[in-house]
Amino acid sequence: MTTEADARPEASMTAVPVRHPGRWLAAVVVLVLVAMFVHTVTVSKVTRGGKSVHRYEWEVIRSYFLSRQVFDGLVVTLELTVLAMVIGITLGIVVAVLRLSPNPLLSTASWLYIWFFRGTPVYVQLLFWYQIGYLYPRLTLGVPFGPALLHLNANTFITSFVAAMIGLGLNEGAYMAEIVRAGIISVDEGQTEAAQALGMSRLQAMRRVVLPQAMRVIVPPTGNETISMLKTSSLAATISVAELTFSVQTIYARTYRVIPMLMVASFWYLIVTSVLTVGQYYIERYFARGAVRQLPLTPLQKVRGQVARIVMTRRDLPGAPARRR
Amino acid sequence: MTVVGDAMVRAVSVRKSYGFFEALRGIDLEVTTGEVLCLIGPSGSGKSTFLRCINHLEKIDGGRLEVAGQLVGYREHNGRMYELRDREVCAKRAEIGMVFQRFNLFPHMTVMDNVTLAPVMVKGESRAAVGDRARALLARVGLADKVDNYPNQLSGGQQQRVAIARALAMQPKLMLFDEPTSALDPELVGDVLDVMRGLAEDGMTMVVVTHEMGFAREVGDTLVFMDAGMVVETGKPREVLANPRSERTKAFLAKVL
Repeated sequence: MTTEADARPEASMTAVPVRHPGRWLAAVVVLVLVAMFVHTVTVSKVTRGGKSVHRYEWEVIRSYFLSRQVFDGLVVTLELTVLAMVIGITLGIVVAVLRLSPNPLLSTASWLYIWFFRGTPVYVQLLFWYQIGYLYPRLTLGVPFGPALLHLNANTFITSFVAAMIGLGLNEGAYMAEIVRAGIISVDEGQTEAAQALGMSRLQAMRRVVLPQAMRVIVPPTGNETISMLKTSSLAATISVAELTFSVQTIYARTYRVIPMLMVASFWYLIVTSVLTVGQYYIERYFARGAVRQLPLTPLQKVRGQVARIVMTRRDLPGAPARRR
Repeated sequence: MTVVGDAMVRAVSVRKSYGFFEALRGIDLEVTTGEVLCLIGPSGSGKSTFLRCINHLEKIDGGRLEVAGQLVGYREHNGRMYELRDREVCAKRAEIGMVFQRFNLFPHMTVMDNVTLAPVMVKGESRAAVGDRARALLARVGLADKVDNYPNQLSGGQQQRVAIARALAMQPKLMLFDEPTSALDPELVGDVLDVMRGLAEDGMTMVVVTHEMGFAREVGDTLVFMDAGMVVETGKPREVLANPRSERTKAFLAKVL
């Protein structure tokens, strides 16, 4: 005899799902807000100077978006970001290694460097470097306390671009030093021991064994720092470096189209940030080798996988030619 | 089985302290070429510390420690000791293989790169020659098909066998094992011990810190029992395990056997 309890449950569960009215309500509110935003940005018009124009003046944005002056500013912004980051990363590695040195003089010196540059605002530092000619009108290269080999006029050598590059780079070095140090101490001590037991020197072990593993910890915050630097570089506008923000400021000083020009700059910052984010994803993936069993899929591989899955399910649909197993 | 030769390792009242804690309180010990010496003892007895002194991962504070007739970490000149430079220490270490309890494979490199890295980098050998030797060694430890895998794709036992192959790729004259099977699941211990047994049969000089009494009995030529930073008892493994003379050895063996 078969009782109720003997009956096997169905293979797939069919149950009435829990309703979430609160979520629905929130979704509707968000949807309305989005609709309002899209409307005000695209369709809505206002009267300015007797003419009915788009509230956001898309015409102005479009006409300046690819203009020569904005483009030149963007190039300077990118140059400044790359150079400052190169200085910052190089200094960061050196300072981090010094900080971990057994020599107390070296580790204290690097501690002081970090203390000073993290402890003062980067804006103040930029102004300082811009005014360096006041302290040192003549820069001299030579033997300490001895004869000089080369003289430079600070006012011509330290241009506003060079001042911004040094200022941003030195400041970044302090933050990068802490990031690199965190990476190095995150690697198990057994790794250094194993390398040394095989006869590798400290330097060899650092270069081939410790740093590549530290990169996994170092890369994400460094990507963060690079994105942050892209935007911090706009402070250079205050010492009249003709970068992106400075360029749009010059344009709206002439045309009084302040908001549209700020939007031009914002769009460019967003575009570059997006590109950097993608780049960071691939760098992280590269350094994940050996740390994860299966590398995460690239977006392209994910899309391909989705397409393949859809094609497969299509074949399983009734009426489709039967698939051989 | 054993080719008895000159002393490979000679320790005379070796001392080592960490702050006020004395880890080694005068170790006297000799390992002859081709000998397999097993070090046993309770944790904290200094066996791992002593092993790490042999390739200068730890600096000794007193006494005398020689490997193949040369001082470890120092040079003696006109009755004075001079510390060796980093480069000289590295050259010495290159002749001594070491296997760790926690494997310490390089996780960002394939098995092949793990094995070939040091011979190419430290000894400057050609990549091709080292590659052939690495393949042969990996085949010997039963992992010929894992050449392109990363360490975390292997089981603990497989990782430890790669670690042994990595040490052997440097063609060492002495092998140090620091509890090589302690971090392994019980069913994986056998494969690693088999590889070590094979090495011993080929005449490799080995110092093995272990808790595997069966291995010590069958493969070891000498068994040393350490406690509280001192050598308590030394002898043929069978004799020490069957008839320990000291009370402390007796008490220890009663717990582990």
